[in-house]
Amino acid sequence: MTSKTLTNANEFDPNNFEKGDSLWDKAWYKFKRDRMGKTGAFIVLVYFIIALGVWFGIWGGAWSDTSDDLWQGPSMQHLFGTNVIGSDVLTRVIYSTKVAFEVGFIVAVLSTVLGAILGSLSGYFSGTWVDSVILWLMGVLDSIPFYLFVAAVAFALKENPFAMHIAMIATFWTGTARVVRGEVIKLKGQEFVEAAKSIGVTETNIIFKHIMPNTSHILLVQSTIAFVAAIKSEVILSFLGLGVKDGVSWGLMISESTQDVLAGHFNNFLSSSVFLFVLVIAFNMFSDSMQDALDPKKVS
Amino acid sequence: MDILKFAVRKLFGGIPLILGVTFISFLLMVYFGPDLTWEKLGKNPTQQDIMEVRHELGYDQPFVKRYGNYLKQLVTLDFGNSQMTDKKVSTILKETMPVSLHLIIPGFILGNIIAVALALFAAYHRGTWLDKLIMTGSVVGMSISFLIVIIAFQLLFCSSFGLDLFPVRGWEVYNNEGNIIWSQYFKYVTVPTLATVFVALGYNTRFYRAVLVEEMTKDHVRTARAFGHKPASILFKSVLKNAMVPITTRIMFSIPLVVVSGSLLIESYFGIPGVGKITYDAIVAGDQNILKAIVGLTAVLFVIVLLLTDILYRVFDPRVELK
Repeated sequence: MTSKTLTNANEFDPNNFEKGDSLWDKAWYKFKRDRMGKTGAFIVLVYFIIALGVWFGIWGGAWSDTSDDLWQGPSMQHLFGTNVIGSDVLTRVIYSTKVAFEVGFIVAVLSTVLGAILGSLSGYFSGTWVDSVILWLMGVLDSIPFYLFVAAVAFALKENPFAMHIAMIATFWTGTARVVRGEVIKLKGQEFVEAAKSIGVTETNIIFKHIMPNTSHILLVQSTIAFVAAIKSEVILSFLGLGVKDGVSWGLMISESTQDVLAGHFNNFLSSSVFLFVLVIAFNMFSDSMQDALDPKKVS
Repeated sequence: MDILKFAVRKLFGGIPLILGVTFISFLLMVYFGPDLTWEKLGKNPTQQDIMEVRHELGYDQPFVKRYGNYLKQLVTLDFGNSQMTDKKVSTILKETMPVSLHLIIPGFILGNIIAVALALFAAYHRGTWLDKLIMTGSVVGMSISFLIVIIAFQLLFCSSFGLDLFPVRGWEVYNNEGNIIWSQYFKYVTVPTLATVFVALGYNTRFYRAVLVEEMTKDHVRTARAFGHKPASILFKSVLKNAMVPITTRIMFSIPLVVVSGSLLIESYFGIPGVGKITYDAIVAGDQNILKAIVGLTAVLFVIVLLLTDILYRVFDPRVELK
């Protein structure tokens, strides 16, 4: 219990910083020394290249091709074997990487933007009716069971392929907004805000140009959390029939493999779960090390 | 007496939340939701038939009135009949609720108790390999999808590819009088519980450890150490008791979601006839009356949980005022 405090002090040697170093310089310095974080970032990058390759049509395009080789085990021709209709599992897993990145990216960016805007507004106007309305909205969205909310959005949008994305964005922003709100309440009492007010900067500019940029480290961390949550939710929603409608995804592969495993064919289940698991754990490691690097107050 | 007044005021304070939840879900699910007229009609309906069915479903009434009816249903707990099976929704809920509770309670309790124990252990050995081992384990647990855990555990424990110790699916735990048979219960509840605990441990341990570690770096703990109190007594009296506020919040807030969302996957995968299963069936079939009942009741449950959490804060932290 005592020895750790000493090593912590060494890790953060003030001599390593110049006087003008920003939060980002320090964060980069800390991140460079975090082996877990770098490994995570590297793995995510590999997945991203796989997804880009599908995007540019280099690989993964033949995910829906069928053949006569049904339920084959791994071989040179089909590295991960084939599924019940003879499609190559590896190709499907690769194509699904693109789908996962699309879901994760769209949801992470939009829910973070929404959370940043509404969180800043409610933090800046804390105690007023604006704050009450936004807090009420967050409370309401958090109290609707997630799967039911997705189902309700899917009903209302009549089979729109983006129903899942919209439902995730509509619920994931509350987490970001709560953290941003707390930070903005702290920031708005500081001198730079007072200075901006005294020289007559408009309220909109104070909120979005002076205060919100100061929460960017929170937004970065929150967006990685939303990314992971989106990928994981996609799997469960696709299994429940509420997720990806066209194409293939890890969730759809896992849900079709529930029949395979009962018959003793595990390659479909194993490949999709392992691909999903490795990406999620890498992203979690990356996200953790970003939190360590960017949050000066975090004790680990 | 103070507590009672506080409770009543809090309950009234929860009304906007219930109104919000019911309004949004009503708008999405019923107002913009699927039109059930044609499913109820026979072949070649006349204009008269259509009007009758629409009247029966309440489609000919203005929005405000239909929403008002829903609120009235919520207050009287009379949600009409299921559109798929024609049974009373309240009867269905009465039958399925105990099943879900029996299924979920062991996993919920174990998942939280083991997580707090592991978190205490990790926080006590902060920075050592024991701490790192537990934290790595919890990141791994966090990263595996619940669905994968369910499928893998079913394969491991219930199928001939694994240990083949427990039944694959089903829930035959009640005898003819409706009482629970404990040996049967143990057989059917074990694998779902193991899966729930496995997934809960990852998130919970991490959260609880972070809370405990933050508390451990505070001044009062340092002072207690300087005065020579035993590490174990500091851990339980100064650290754990102070950390109970965030821990309680997390446990309480997960109750409403665990009851519906958590059992949804498990029940539909293991074929257990609980609330989660009927919710899943209702989603697939578009059975609005059941969905309305479940969303509304979850919102009410949420408000009650909020209230209980506020009262529990007071138990752990006497400085919290009931205002």
